[in-house]
Amino acid sequence: MSYLEQEQQKALRPLGTHAGREGRGHLDAVISRLPESARPAVMEAFGKAPTWAKVRRANAALEGADANLQGPEVVVHLLASFNLEPIEAALRLGLACIPCRPQMQVAPLNTIEQHLLDQCSGVYREHNLATVVLWRIEELLPEALLPYSSGGADAAKERMESLWQRIETACCAYREMGKSPLVVATFPAPQQMSGLMLNSQLVGGALNAVAELNCRLRELAASVTGLHIMDWNWWATREGAAAFDPMMEQMARQPLSLQGALSLGLFVARHVRPFLAPRRKVLVLDADNTLWGGILGEDGLWNVKLGHEFPGRIFLRIQREARELKNQGVLLALVSKSDEAEVRQAFRELPDMVLRWEDFASRRVNFNHKYESLRAMAEELGLGIDSFAVLDDSDHEREQIRMFHPEVLVINQRSDPLHMLQALQSTDAFDAYSLTGEDRARHGEYQLREARSGRGHGANLEEFLHALRLEATVERVEEGNEQRVLQMLSKTNQFNLTTRRHRLEEVKALMEKPGSIGLTLRLADKFGDQGIVGVLLTVPDEGHRLRIDSYLVSCRALGRGVEECLWAELVKQALKDGVQGIVGEYIPTAKNALAEKFYNKLGFVQLEQTPSVTRYLMEPLKPVDPPSWLARKDEQ
Amino acid sequence: MIVETDRLRDLLVEFFELAPETALGDIVQERIAEWDSLAMVQLIVEIQNVFGVGFDVEEIEQLASYSQIRQALNRKGVKVSQ
Repeated sequence: MSYLEQEQQKALRPLGTHAGREGRGHLDAVISRLPESARPAVMEAFGKAPTWAKVRRANAALEGADANLQGPEVVVHLLASFNLEPIEAALRLGLACIPCRPQMQVAPLNTIEQHLLDQCSGVYREHNLATVVLWRIEELLPEALLPYSSGGADAAKERMESLWQRIETACCAYREMGKSPLVVATFPAPQQMSGLMLNSQLVGGALNAVAELNCRLRELAASVTGLHIMDWNWWATREGAAAFDPMMEQMARQPLSLQGALSLGLFVARHVRPFLAPRRKVLVLDADNTLWGGILGEDGLWNVKLGHEFPGRIFLRIQREARELKNQGVLLALVSKSDEAEVRQAFRELPDMVLRWEDFASRRVNFNHKYESLRAMAEELGLGIDSFAVLDDSDHEREQIRMFHPEVLVINQRSDPLHMLQALQSTDAFDAYSLTGEDRARHGEYQLREARSGRGHGANLEEFLHALRLEATVERVEEGNEQRVLQMLSKTNQFNLTTRRHRLEEVKALMEKPGSIGLTLRLADKFGDQGIVGVLLTVPDEGHRLRIDSYLVSCRALGRGVEECLWAELVKQALKDGVQGIVGEYIPTAKNALAEKFYNKLGFVQLEQTPSVTRYLMEPLKPVDPPSWLARKDEQ
Repeated sequence: MIVETDRLRDLLVEFFELAPETALGDIVQERIAEWDSLAMVQLIVEIQNVFGVGFDVEEIEQLASYSQIRQALNRKGVKVSQ
């Protein structure tokens, strides 16, 4: 394979693969902000095999979308030391993903200073949102790449100082005379360079020049208001060789591959976005499987994973990132469907806990729907719910939030803890150039939000459940599913009416009694098969009755109608068997308060109550309709 | 009649927004106004990405028509029609 073919192979890797799965996660979040009609074309353009034709189609799809959803019209000037013209369409696509209608002005090759110093240039016009400068030492300091042909260390230092003077003069002049902000890129380390080892040692070499210039740029930005840094060097390190195309550099004086150009477009967009959209103010965190591994209410305080060993260290890192955001001025909020006393205890007693209960500006630890909790928190904090961003491991909860509050940003797309950590690290939700920069947020985003807010409103819980495409399979307890039944009997704490921890022989004995009915419910939804999540065991009782021995639903399946569906099936089978009535018991434990009123809800009559058990009866039996949103897969 | 699908032809027709009935012999740089040096640069990226090949410098100088591109691809073992 020739060198060029190897380069080509690298370039054919899908965008973000070299950067890990998280690169894709950020892209998903970006695309989710776009008008729905344009998303497929945009996804295709940023996908595995981008072509210019796909980029063109994506731009057309965005331009063809509902004008209210396209975002505000925005003028951005791009200046570069190389030729941007051949990749203009890719950069435009990136900007349009802000989302906005970009009026992108690309200056001719290497006219950075001419534009920044000329008050008649477009960069000085009133409505220019921002000017972005991209430069490389390949064009501005080419001698640094050939240090042994370009004089000694003194000559190198002189060239470097004179280049810096030009940079400083141009940046300061623009900020003194102009109104719009200036975003300057750091210099990337050269992609193609000979004499790597010698150059690595040299004070006057290319690598040191890059480091020195970037250091000075940062210092300058710290002292000049409206001058901001876009760390293009960081981008180049992360994107790697696949972002560059040496043949393009030679043919078109433009160093990027198509993949690189698309990624750069998104990167530039990210750095322009803070001038349009305010940063999110609240990070809403789930607790179980988000702040620690495992479920507090099921695994127990000392079995959850949090600490310095894998995988607990991932959760530790998530907590550290959250604390860092808090110190950057982001409010933290806790929303968890668990027992508040247990969660408080975890924050108090787990030795590796980074966050404290007090770190959260608002907390909702209860069994309410999370979308309701979010609404209540927004009221409590006096903030719009559109300033919320959520990290939650549950597909179900994220989908529900998306549906009820489309204006809330859902940071992660999957439940894998590493994905969640990386999504939190790479999100643009809390982007700001400085911590007082929020005020810069302009009008455009508000209009866009208004146009959006119509959607999603009016969604109710039942519609949401229908949209999940839930499918239930109810089966008898039998040898094939006994192990799972045992596991559920031993683990389930919250929705568990009797918490009887039977052993295998006991389950077998119960099920062998003539007339006993044991049911399991397997749940699937549009995210996949969740396995068996509900168990209902009954044994014959005197007077042609059944007694419910065990009735439990896994906490990750609560709120889907699983318990009602099992009930409907039990009644159906019991009626067929000529059963007259059903006896239920509620045995309180420290953890099952959630299930306390369940038999009342079904319409049972309370027979007697002692501190250790409440007994109920339903007689006569009447057929019950199962929940309409739960399709019975086994009956189709 | 068997209709041949020609991926290179489709690519060029879409890329330059040509009429679908354009004759293969008319897909030549000097007859297509949009086929300037900038388009050439993008076209090479397009062909390389779509067909999964890389061109050397010498080859790039000989990609000025449908038939030249087809020959270059054939030399690399790429079949453009099925």
